[in-house]
Amino acid sequence: MGKLIIFGFFSLMAILSGIGIITLKNPVYVIVALLSSLIAVAGIFFTAGAELVGALQLLIYAVAIAIFYIIVISAVPWQKAKKSETHHRFEGLISLPVVLLLYIEMIVVFLLGVKASPEGEIAKLIEKIGNAEVIGAILFSKYFLAFEVVSLVLLVGMIGAVLIGRKESQTYEDDTT
Amino acid sequence: MKTIPLEAFLAVSMILFGLGVIGIIARRNLVTVLMSLELALNAVNIALVGADHHLGLAEGQIFALFIIALAATEAAVGLGIIIAIFRLKKVESTDEISELRG
Repeated sequence: MGKLIIFGFFSLMAILSGIGIITLKNPVYVIVALLSSLIAVAGIFFTAGAELVGALQLLIYAVAIAIFYIIVISAVPWQKAKKSETHHRFEGLISLPVVLLLYIEMIVVFLLGVKASPEGEIAKLIEKIGNAEVIGAILFSKYFLAFEVVSLVLLVGMIGAVLIGRKESQTYEDDTT
Repeated sequence: MKTIPLEAFLAVSMILFGLGVIGIIARRNLVTVLMSLELALNAVNIALVGADHHLGLAEGQIFALFIIALAATEAAVGLGIIIAIFRLKKVESTDEISELRG
């Protein structure tokens, strides 16, 4: 019961911050709302017993990514964004029924999928030796290839971000011919 | 152990995902569009971890870790694109970038 109350508190906080993300005008306030939502989601992970994912959520999302957004906001002058209209109000209203349809589809797909999937035996193992150990053991045995591919994706993303974001101080001429 | 029902996780996840989708559509500022995208990714993570909690598996948490890594990549590339757009065209709103419209 206590767990349910904590879960309700964190989910209420996440939803209120989510409403803040899509309604607030100033981009800096939006970042603060995003940070609050990310921390609340980390709290939901902790109540669900996923300590490793919650800790990484706090480390990677709430520290690294949110600070990255703050740096970008402060590096780019947004004077025009504050003056002009910040929302597509008409398009937002039109998209509401589409989102409702999306909700129904998600309910059907998720409940059917969970019904069809097998009950795992890993919960007992987690109770015995801890969450992070189990995740690490499965990640580095069964999903090791995926783990390596994710590292490759991170490398490619880093190279792409540097290439896209760099300043062209001089134009290079094609001297291969 | 299962004190929180799966439907609660699913409800929170869907509400947050819907808010993220509405934010992606209705926001004008490019950076806030990306932030709404982060919200939608987080909602998917909640659904995965909730299904894990219900089924007693660990796979969903591993996929949540992969999603976090991909979100970091997406933020880096997306913000790089936004900075490049701002430097080249001096716009920051989604409806001023319409070169691909036929």
